Parts: sequence; C-alpha cells; structure tokens
Amino acid sequence: MKNTIMALAVMLLAGCAAQSVKQDMSAFQAAAPRSILVVPAVNKSLDVDAPNYVLSTLPVPLAEKGYYVFPVNTTKYVLEQEGMYEADRIHNQPTESLAKLFGADAVLYVTINRWDAQYSFIATTVTVDFDYRMVSKDGTEIWKEHKVMHYSPGNNNSGLIGAIVSAAITRAAPNYIHLTQQANKQVFVLGQNALPDGPYKLKKSP
Amino acid sequence: MRFVALALIALALGGCKSQPIYKPIYYNWGGYESMLYAGYKDPTKMEKMKLGLESHIAAMDKSNQKIAPGLLAELGTLYLQSGSSDKAISMYTRERDTWPESKGLMDTMIKNLERRKQAHPEVVQ
Repeated sequence: MKNTIMALAVMLLAGCAAQSVKQDMSAFQAAAPRSILVVPAVNKSLDVDAPNYVLSTLPVPLAEKGYYVFPVNTTKYVLEQEGMYEADRIHNQPTESLAKLFGADAVLYVTINRWDAQYSFIATTVTVDFDYRMVSKDGTEIWKEHKVMHYSPGNNNSGLIGAIVSAAITRAAPNYIHLTQQANKQVFVLGQNALPDGPYKLKKSP
Repeated sequence: MRFVALALIALALGGCKSQPIYKPIYYNWGGYESMLYAGYKDPTKMEKMKLGLESHIAAMDKSNQKIAPGLLAELGTLYLQSGSSDKAISMYTRERDTWPESKGLMDTMIKNLERRKQAHPEVVQ
C-alpha cells in the first residue's frame, strides 16, 4: 500500500508533462524587449494546417503578458510580400534583419514537432509538441522552452462504453487548439521558465 | 490509508484536465483569436473577421477603451487585401498612434501604400 501511495505521489508530482530545467533569465532581462515579432511556425508534423492554427493562438497570451505583439496575420502578409512564404526560410534568416524589417525588439520562433492523434478502439491520444525560442534583435537567444501536451479522454469513470464513445468523438474532432492554448499558457505564464512581465503589464500593476 | 490512496488517484487522474484555458484579463480582444483561427481554417471566413473587427473596434471607440495590440493593423491588412488602400492607411495610422512599438512597420506600410497610390490611383467606384 505504501508503495502504491509513493508511486501515485510521484505520478502526481510529475503531472502531465515533464518538468523543464530552470533557465537563467539574465539574457532576457538584459534585452528587456518591449515588442515581440511572432513569425510563422516551422512544421515538422504531417498536418499542413497546423502552423496557421498555432499562429492564431500566440498573440493573445503574449500580449496579456504585457508585450506589444506584432499582428501575426499582417506579419505573415508582409513576409509574403518580401517573397518569404516558407517558414523554414524565415527561421533561417538572420534575426537581426527580420527584427530590423519590422522594428521589433525580439523574434519568437515556434517549431511544431508533433500534432497528431493516435487511435485505438477504446482510447485516442492527441499530442502536440512545440519548441519555442526567442531571440533578441541583436541575435542573442534570450529564452527557450519545449512543451509536449497529451490529451486522452476516458479517465472519467464512464465505463467501457463511455470510453469508446469519447475515443470516437476525439477521433472525429481532435481538439488540438485547446491543447495548444494549454501548452502556450504553460510556457509563457505558469511554467518555471515563464516570461517576465512585459512593460504594459508592469505599468498597469506596479 | 486507503482514503489517501484514493484521493491521490483522483488527483493524478484529474491531472492537467482541470486547467482552465487562458482567460484574457488586460484587453478586450473581441474574439480575435477564434476569428483568426476560423479564417485560417476556411479563408472565406476572413470576410467575417473583417466585419467582426470593425464592429469590435467601433464598440471600443464608443466606450473609449484602448484597442488591444495589433487589432487595428490586422483590420488594415484585411482592407488592403480587399483593395481598400485608404481604409488600410487609416487603420495603420491608428495602430501606430495607439502602439508606439509598431511605428517602424506602420510607417513603412503607409509610405508604400501612398507611393503605390500615386503610381496607380484607385478607381473610384
């Protein structure tokens, strides 16, 4: 019994995602960005729509953290006007020139490693896996995080039939966006490497 | 002892499911995130986003509230993509005046649009 309790306590502490290592925030604090340019995400998943969906979830949590976030759809449009359609190519540009083109203090690069659902008859597991990386306008990397989130319905005492039904529902419409929003919240707001508050938040609540 | 184990099971199973989604506190976004998502999912919904942003901005103006970062410029770009340069310029100007961090980009976009207008004046319908 004691072993069971220990095992459960460990599970509980581990939570639903691996803990990341506490980072040194001094580079971020030295750069003290006021504005963040979010460029289109690089996609290593098989879902071609994932990058746009991810892009739509990024501005709100970053702006709510107190930063000016460049309008993501306008950013995408401007980059396309400059002939930059491929996210891989954009991520390979020197940050200095991207930051200069937009007048941004820092650039956020997101890579989608996984965006998929694994199916079995009684359980469906939806997974998103992202790398986040922020680079200041002088080219220094000032922050990075990695986040994996899983969602698997059927933990809810609804029995086998309930589990099969909810697996089928998840299979029909995997809720990637909700998981993505949670991943963003974890890395930007809640995690141990959460971003420091930006200038607009500091001003509002000193 | 058994009770402790049960409580832990419940907590462990609850896990990350119980976390609420991020709730905006500082700004009123007028549904920006879900409109943008819908527009990316189905490009014909971008027109709906344009109308949604227009009415959100009008409502914010009426109650004298600050527009969230980027929304004025996003509406400007939607105007630009539907061929209304003048309306785009006025939104880019408002974004710049509301958010000084956007000045570099907004000034460039306004300048380009004005240059383009001189070269190819818009047909007045």
